[in-house]
Order: sequence, then structure tokens, then C-alpha cells
Amino acid sequence: MAAGVAAWLPFARAAAIGWMPVASTPMPIPPQEKTKGKDGLIILNVSGTKFQTWRTTLERYPDTLLGSTERDFFFHEETNEYFFDRDPDIFRHILNFFRTGKLHYPRQECIAAYDEELAFFGIIPEIIGDCCYEEYKDRRRENAERLQDDEEMDMSNDAPPVNLTYREFLWRAFENPHTSTLALVFYYVTGFFIAISVMANVVETVPCGVLPNRSKEMSCGDRYALAFFCLDTACVMIFTVEYLLRLIAAPSRYKFMKSVMSVIDVVAIMPYYIGLVMTDNDQVSGAFVTLRVFRVFRIFKFSRHSAGLRILGYTLKSCASELGFLLFSLTMAIIIFATVMFYAEKGSTASKFTSIPAAFWYTIVTMTTLGYGDMVPKTIVGKVFGSICSLSGVLVIALPVPVIVSNFSRIYHQSQRAEKRRAQRASKEAGRALVAKAPSPPFESQHNHLLHCLEKTTNHEFVDEQTFQANCMEISVMNKSGSRASSLSSSPHGLSSCCSRRHRKKSSFSLPSTNNQELSTIQIRERPVVNSRSSLNAKLDETVPLKCDKPYITPSMVSLSAPVVTSSDGHGSTTTTAYSQSNIVRVSAL
Amino acid sequence: MSVRWETEGLQTVGIVCLVIMFLKLMHLLGLIDITETDNSDSDLELSTVRHQPEGLDQLQAQTKFTRKELQSLYRGFKNECPSGLVDEETFKTIYSQFFPQGDATTYAHFLFNAFDIDRNGSIRFEDFVIGLSVLLRGSVTEKLNWAFNLYDINKDGYITKEEMLAIMKSIYDMMGRYTYPCVRDEAPSEHKMDKNRDGVVTIEEFIETCQKDENIMNSMQLFENVI
Repeated sequence: MAAGVAAWLPFARAAAIGWMPVASTPMPIPPQEKTKGKDGLIILNVSGTKFQTWRTTLERYPDTLLGSTERDFFFHEETNEYFFDRDPDIFRHILNFFRTGKLHYPRQECIAAYDEELAFFGIIPEIIGDCCYEEYKDRRRENAERLQDDEEMDMSNDAPPVNLTYREFLWRAFENPHTSTLALVFYYVTGFFIAISVMANVVETVPCGVLPNRSKEMSCGDRYALAFFCLDTACVMIFTVEYLLRLIAAPSRYKFMKSVMSVIDVVAIMPYYIGLVMTDNDQVSGAFVTLRVFRVFRIFKFSRHSAGLRILGYTLKSCASELGFLLFSLTMAIIIFATVMFYAEKGSTASKFTSIPAAFWYTIVTMTTLGYGDMVPKTIVGKVFGSICSLSGVLVIALPVPVIVSNFSRIYHQSQRAEKRRAQRASKEAGRALVAKAPSPPFESQHNHLLHCLEKTTNHEFVDEQTFQANCMEISVMNKSGSRASSLSSSPHGLSSCCSRRHRKKSSFSLPSTNNQELSTIQIRERPVVNSRSSLNAKLDETVPLKCDKPYITPSMVSLSAPVVTSSDGHGSTTTTAYSQSNIVRVSAL
Repeated sequence: MSVRWETEGLQTVGIVCLVIMFLKLMHLLGLIDITETDNSDSDLELSTVRHQPEGLDQLQAQTKFTRKELQSLYRGFKNECPSGLVDEETFKTIYSQFFPQGDATTYAHFLFNAFDIDRNGSIRFEDFVIGLSVLLRGSVTEKLNWAFNLYDINKDGYITKEEMLAIMKSIYDMMGRYTYPCVRDEAPSEHKMDKNRDGVVTIEEFIETCQKDENIMNSMQLFENVI
């Protein structure tokens, strides 16, 4: 609506004549219109594809590249057109934004490429129209998650730092068994003992045959009590040692003790110790038997070994609301149907439906389509309602299940992706190396000189990865990308990764609220909820400051545009108009 | 005995339920139709009202704009209203966007009536352009005429006190609540215009008063270079 509204501005100003006769004070002087050129056609040549539009169309948004004098930098005298060395397919959408005032996001484009183009032409992504906004945000979030996974994987798969303390080394060994063979051995040993312990618990209860001096059948546990006791002791010994080691190695002991896995560990080994401590008192031994049930929790220790179990647990946690809804609706239905069945069956003789709670069992069994048959309605009415109950049961249970399934699928695929990416890393590295092989010499030397200037400016130095990680554990993004930049100095990819990380780390940038042109201060009333999407030049509410500070302005300019631009833009404003100054700040704050 | 009543009652309930479900099933299958609500989907017809403006030459004769200006104006107009007509609601929406902090709908309503010369409920491009021509390129008298026409809400040739108050209120409404100093009720300025104190202002009184006022004369020239 913004473009259309802009078109009506002259009308609104003219209509202001209607206020004149009743005005109480003299009017202010109208702002000086800078001499507008005649409204001519502008030719925009984007990588060979020619676009044409009216000059006034572009000037509707004076704080973008195309709408301000910044486009003069791209003017090509020989052909009398503006030349941009960018993607013409995405440019089409950008130009449509100027024409219609609505920015759309094409689904087939890569989100990162699209973001780059938007940033180049000085358009905030927040003004994407309602039709495409959700899709855009979803894709962006997905991409961010993917990159974050990537980074986490990088950080975990890097060459092990040399000077870790033993405690940290131990913790790493526990968390990531692939780091050393000792850790791997420990991992398999504990797994083996968990399995043994669980199987022993199971076999203990199997009837083992009759002893000569006893009449009834004994379970294996009673018959070979000593053997089982020794096995149990061995397992618990191993588990205890493991738990204590983890406790010692944990970076934050309090946090470790609160975590789910440690609780499971404790619950798994406690019954044994309680059994040791307690005497053979008859009263407490009853409780002790109950405690033995908790030994089955040892099976949950397998979740450290199996990613699938973890995913299942995570899925259930994330579907808590759907499960809650399922439970609630089932409860409601059970109560209703149990009441109805009770009153329906009250008349029949020898009815099993002695009370409403007794009817609960029938309702549950029927709704889940189990149908044990221990309670059956005998009256006709009872049978009618019983059939309605079973039909509705199927429906109620089938409703939340797809949601849970889709959640599980999404999380599962996410974890699969991590595996896939690990496999792809090798080929990716090879590809990068290939591109980096043939740099153009002047580009490389200029780039190096630039980085050197940057070092001098900030009085820091770029270091390579090993020495940096040796110096400090906290790996900040900026330094890392700086070091990457130096190692991949010849390839533009290094810079684009720098920019992409910056894109990822920040969410938005605060715009200076600027100039006095009326257009820029128009707020679009349709979306009062989210201020940041309304006016182009208003301050955004989410003023997250840039994670990367000033020094990284110049590298980004090099990668995006011709070196010619760098010299004029990077060194402050040579023009004097207010908004082009702010434009420079904005564009370079990539 | 009571047990028998209960089972009887439940049987009735059961039978009633069965019958209702059966009817619903029939309705679903389309065999019988028991709903009274009419399907409003069939009423939906695409509004194919469209208007093409007169030719460029005629408009050039009727207004004081140059050809290029008319072209530029039409492009903006058509961009916003592809059908060629602006109805009152759209007009109010557009105008309100220039005054976000206040309520511009009342004044927009008056403006709409001032532009809609033939009172058919929608502004065509010709109305739009003729109105603008008066406002931007007309003589002072023509502009004052236009302003009089705006204030005269019922278009009877006289501005009454109520009409003046309504206009003033609508202008102050556009300011919104958050103004400094706070908006108070203004004494109507009709007094200075109503020379013969008959309670209404005629066009001659209006023009005469305005021509005597320096401020008004100056401000009339203010927006000449808008286009």
C-alpha cells in the first residue's frame, strides 16, 4: 500500500487547501523541493537483463539504493544505463517492490541469496508482504538452525585442543566417545553391562525348576541367589564408578546433578545400596521388594547410547500439548460414557457395571478398541451406547496422532541431517580447495593489503586456528571468521562466510530515523501490531545491536561490489545530503 | 418400578439419538435438505464495475494540467485503484494513512463529497483530476469556491453554524489525542464570516471575508507546486 499511498500524497497536500479558511495561524513554508528531473524512463541493466521503469517509481523509496543518488555509482556512461552485476531473477522481485509497494519472497530461491540481494539494495526484509512473510520466516529459521548445527558440529569436531585439563578431557571423553579409543572402550563396556544387568533382572523371575526339598516352583533368582547377587554387585560397581567419574568431570556439578540422565543413574543404583543397608526386617523388606522395580530404570541408561531413544523422548516432550489434549479429551469421554453405560445397565440382572468407576474400565477398554470382554453390556440401550462409545474412541485417539508423528519425523530428519552433513563435509572441503586454487593475483594482494590495514586500524592481529584456540577457550565468532578469512584469503567464499555469519548472528539493525521527506515518516496503519514492519525509516523496536562491530565493514564491501565502490563508500560520505550519509551507514552495516 | 422408568427413559433417549444421527447422515449424503440457511456462495459475484476515463484530449481541455501531468496522475491513480473508481471506504482508508495519529475519516467523508461532483458514490478519474485542477491551478476565487463547496455539507448554498462546527471538529479530529496543547472546543469562526448575522454564511460573504484576510490569501498559494 505504501507505493499507492505515496502516489496520493500530492492529492492530500492539495486537499489541505480546505483547511485554509478556518486556520487560526499562518501556514509554514513548504519544504524546498529539490529540482526533480523530468519523469523519464530509467534503464536498469542487471547482468544483461534490461529492466525499465519510471524514475519516480524508484524514487518512492529514497532510502534504498535504487531510490537515492547511490545508484549513480552504477551508472554506465557508454550505454547510458545503470548496470548491476547481480542476479536478475531476484532483481525482478526487488523491482516489483518499487512498483507495487509489496515485497514478495519467491519460494524457489535460496534464502541466503535472497537476503543478500535485499541487503545490497537496501531493503529491509521485514516489509515482506503478509502473503509471503510466514514462508520467509520459516525458511530463514530453518536455515539458521542448519547453520547453527553446522557450527556446533565444527566446534565439536575440531582438532582437540592440546592443553586441556584432565577434568575437561574426561568430560569430553564421556560426552563424545569418538574422541579417543579409551572413551570408546568405556562406552561399549558400560553398554554391555547395562544389557547384562537388565537381562539378569528379567531372568531372575523365571521359574527354574523344583528343588527336592521344596514343594513349589522356585524362580531362578531364588535358586541361584548368590550368582545373581555377584552379578548385580559387579554391575552396580561399574555404574557407581561411572557416575562418580561423570560427577567429577562435569563442568557444572550442580547442573549435572539436575540433568535427567544423572537422575536415571542414581535411581538405577540406589535400590542395591538400600538393600545392602537394610536388614531382613519383614516390614521393610516389602518396601524393598518394591524398590527392586526401580532397577528396571537401568534400561533408560541406554539412551546415552542410542540416538533414536533420545529423539523419541525429545519428541514426546515437544508434543506435550498434544498429548495433554489427548488425555483431556479421553478423560471427558470416559466419564460421559461410563455414566451413560452405568445407568443403561442398571436395570439388567447380574450386571457387572456396579458403579460408575467400575464402568470406567469398560469405557477405556472399549474406546481403545481393546475389547477384553470381561464386561459386556446386556441391554439394548447399553449395546447402542457401547457401539457409539467405541466409534468415538477411535476418532478421539486418531486426532492428535498425526501431529505427534509429524513432530517425530521432523526431529528425526534433523538428526539424520547432521549425519548427512558430516559425510558431505569431505566433498565440500575438496570443492572449496578447488575454488581457492586460482586466484587473480591483484585481487589477492589487494585483499591482503586490506586485511593488513584492518589489523592496523583495530590494533589486533589475525591469528590462525591452533594458536588462537591455544590462547583462549572462548571462541568468538569474529575472530574465527577473521582467521578463516586469512586462511582462505584468496577466495571470496571466506568473506561470504564472514557475512553469512554476521547475518546469522544478528536479527536486525536499527535504522536511523532520518530525513524530513514526508514519505518516509508515513506509517502504514494496517499493521499496528508489529511496528518494525510498517514504516521504512522508523526505528525498529528490536534494536539488537550488531554483533560485529565496525572493523568488518570494509571486507563486506569488497565481496559485494566492484572495488571501485569500496574506495568511495568505505571512507565516509563524500556527498552532503543527509540521507545518503545514513544510507552509507546502513548499507555498509551488513 | 423406578428401575423400569429409568430403562424406558434411556431407551427413548437412545432412539431419539439414533433418529437424529440418521437424519444428519441423510443430509450429509444430500438425499434430503433440512437447512434453512441459504448458500451465500452463489450470491458472490465478481464486481466487474470498471470505468475508463475520457480521452486525454478532453481532460486536457477540461483541466489546466499538461499532458504529461495528466499521464503521471493517471498512472498513480490507476495503480491504487485498478478499477478506475474510488469508493468512499477506500478513499477514507487512503486519506487516513496520512494522518495515523488521529481520526481522518470524518474529514475524508467531507472531502469525498466535495470531489464526487455527480454524487454517485464513487470518484472517477475525471472528478479527481478536475478537483485537483481547481486546487492546484485554479484562481483564488475558484479555490475559495471549492472550499465553500467543501464546507457546505448539504450543498444548499449556505453554510450553517452546525456545518461549520462539524468541519472544524473533523479537522481537529485528525490531530488525535496527543497534541500540545490539548484540543479544546473552539469557538466557531463563523462569526467573523457571517456579516449580516442571519445565522448562515453565503458564498459572497465567504469569499469577501477570505479575501480580506492576508493569511488566508497567502496560504492559498502554498500548494501550487505540488505536482
